[in-house]
Amino acid sequence: MTINKLRLGAAALALTAATAQADTVRVTVAEYSSLTGPYFEDAAAAFEEANPGTDIQIEVVPWDVMLQKLTTDISAGANADLSIIGTRWLVDFVDEGIAAPLDDFMDDEFTGRFIDVFLSPSVFDGQTFGLPIAASARAMYYNADLFEQAGLESAPDTWEELVEAARAIDALGDDIAGFGMQGAQIETDVYFYYAFWAFGGELVQEDGTSGLNTEAGIQAAQLYLDLLNEGLTQEGVTSMTREDVQNLFKEGRVGMMITAPFLATQIRNEVPDLNFGVAAIPAGPDGDRGTYGVTDSIIMFENSQNKDTAWAFLDFIFTTEWRARFTGGEGFLPVQTAVAAMPEFADDPVLAEFAALLPEARFAPVIAGWEEIAERTSVALQTIYLGQGDIEEPLTAAAADINPILGAN
Amino acid sequence: MRRYDAILPYLLLAPGLFLAAMIILMPLWQLSVLSFSDVNRFGVPRGLTGWDNYARIFADPDFYRAFWRTVVWTVGIVGGTILVAFPVALILNEDFAGRGVARVIVMLPWAMSLTMMAIVWRWALSGESGMLNSALIWAGVIERNVQWLAHGQTAFPMQIMIGILVSVPFTVTIFLGGLASIPDDLYEAARLESASAWQCFAELTWPLMRPFVNIAVVLNTIYVFNSFPIIWVTTQGGPANSTDILVTYLYRLGFRIGRMGEAAALSLLMFLFLLALTAVYVALATRKGRA
Repeated sequence: MTINKLRLGAAALALTAATAQADTVRVTVAEYSSLTGPYFEDAAAAFEEANPGTDIQIEVVPWDVMLQKLTTDISAGANADLSIIGTRWLVDFVDEGIAAPLDDFMDDEFTGRFIDVFLSPSVFDGQTFGLPIAASARAMYYNADLFEQAGLESAPDTWEELVEAARAIDALGDDIAGFGMQGAQIETDVYFYYAFWAFGGELVQEDGTSGLNTEAGIQAAQLYLDLLNEGLTQEGVTSMTREDVQNLFKEGRVGMMITAPFLATQIRNEVPDLNFGVAAIPAGPDGDRGTYGVTDSIIMFENSQNKDTAWAFLDFIFTTEWRARFTGGEGFLPVQTAVAAMPEFADDPVLAEFAALLPEARFAPVIAGWEEIAERTSVALQTIYLGQGDIEEPLTAAAADINPILGAN
Repeated sequence: MRRYDAILPYLLLAPGLFLAAMIILMPLWQLSVLSFSDVNRFGVPRGLTGWDNYARIFADPDFYRAFWRTVVWTVGIVGGTILVAFPVALILNEDFAGRGVARVIVMLPWAMSLTMMAIVWRWALSGESGMLNSALIWAGVIERNVQWLAHGQTAFPMQIMIGILVSVPFTVTIFLGGLASIPDDLYEAARLESASAWQCFAELTWPLMRPFVNIAVVLNTIYVFNSFPIIWVTTQGGPANSTDILVTYLYRLGFRIGRMGEAAALSLLMFLFLLALTAVYVALATRKGRA
């Protein structure tokens, strides 16, 4: 009995030793939806089958704690070999020498798979440090039924028209808001940039200082505050996260809101009867408009012991088949030419609307410490939305905090 | 022989002390090093900088606001908890039909994780579909939905209330233990001397319960001062930092903004503050107890 147990133990030990010797690649992935984990597990299984002796270990982490997990892992030297990160964080990873350049692995065929605009945010000084795993842009969703009830014929093309449309829709009922406005948590600043860019604002001006307290910033904030004060938004704006506003939109209680392509996927799955349309983000008085382009990158860590296998796995998940499955399942924009050309993406009216906006897309500026800038901006905006003072003062205070981060004074 | 007796307790304590030192002193030492270093966003130190990190914290107006809010938060919850838990414990200590069930109901929230509690409350406090608004409208207390979490003035009191609710079970447990330790014959003797119920409480129950109240105050202060989930889950310290307490400020400083050196300095300061507070309170409490 005891001897048997011992033998078993020895066998188990031998087994563990064998796994440790195998080609193990750990991958930290962000959880975009309930499909993300199964997708990467499937991809890992398919890769292991095609490459005997390899072992791909997937760790799924919710977005909220992603940066915290990476920070603690890296400081302890316990990070994975590959990880998904927000591309806006990439510059910090590159500056600290944490992300490995991928150019030695990439050939022309590989680079050629990507749509250029999505690959370029991950390139620093001619070196590629990340591959775009997910891409999205923002556009305006409108509730077509509410528009019809309010006697509106088309989606507003300018912010002025948007205010008019919001008035007409808001008058439909107490429970219905004209314009859905986000005022809490992550991307509160981004929701403001849509109007800010339309008024001709620039996040970082030519002289390197923050453009927050310029004329454009004040006008955009004034516009949002007016919408709020006139009661054309939903109530409790400063407690409403993007998901909260999306939920109201799905309930048919919001006339218009600006968000990413994945809302269309959610609507199709959860409330297929909701009659909605997608249009460009409204333009400002001079015809300026801007959508926010976002990519998430998958990076390889400089301290990875197994770069070749890690790269092989990257090469594998960036094949058309696996890309198409990921992009379709999560409701992102295709980042590869071949995927974008597939009928299921090319003929999708919602994706077409988003794709049309891409030439005007602005990506988060590549600045070390971008998260802090976003944080300061959001707090200033919340202060304005709460009506705790005038508009210029919080924006100026935020700009004063932001300038040192930008390296300007 | 006698010398052996003198060292024996220390010998027996040594392994435990060693473990505790590894768990408590090692991180403390590392934190101190970080707090005096220039640390990058990923927690890797790049050389010593002296008191820079501390100076930057003391120069941040958000720090002072968060500090005073933490004082209100801690005093509010610990005080509120004692006020609620004491009568509850007195009632549960009486003999009545269904006492067992009542005890279970009071203790039940203790079995739930704090984060889960906070998530449930976030839903309940939602301005659009929250249970609290529905209930209050149904009861005729309010006429339209209140956006509880949209303003610090409504969100923070609600968070303190949640804090009180989740601290009550633990505190009641301490108090029930205390009440059980008071011998019944004391009350019998008092009643023979025709003492009123109030006199019994003021002259017997309260003084004899003092040590237990002290324990409840100290332990709750330590838990509440550093309590993260309630505020983070409901508002993340917003809107416009109006519900930020030190520990949420610390989290944002470290993991959102990426100023690890300052975060290390702040957590050391918080540790020292709590240590001093507890030491002073325990000293005061024991002195009063002797007098």
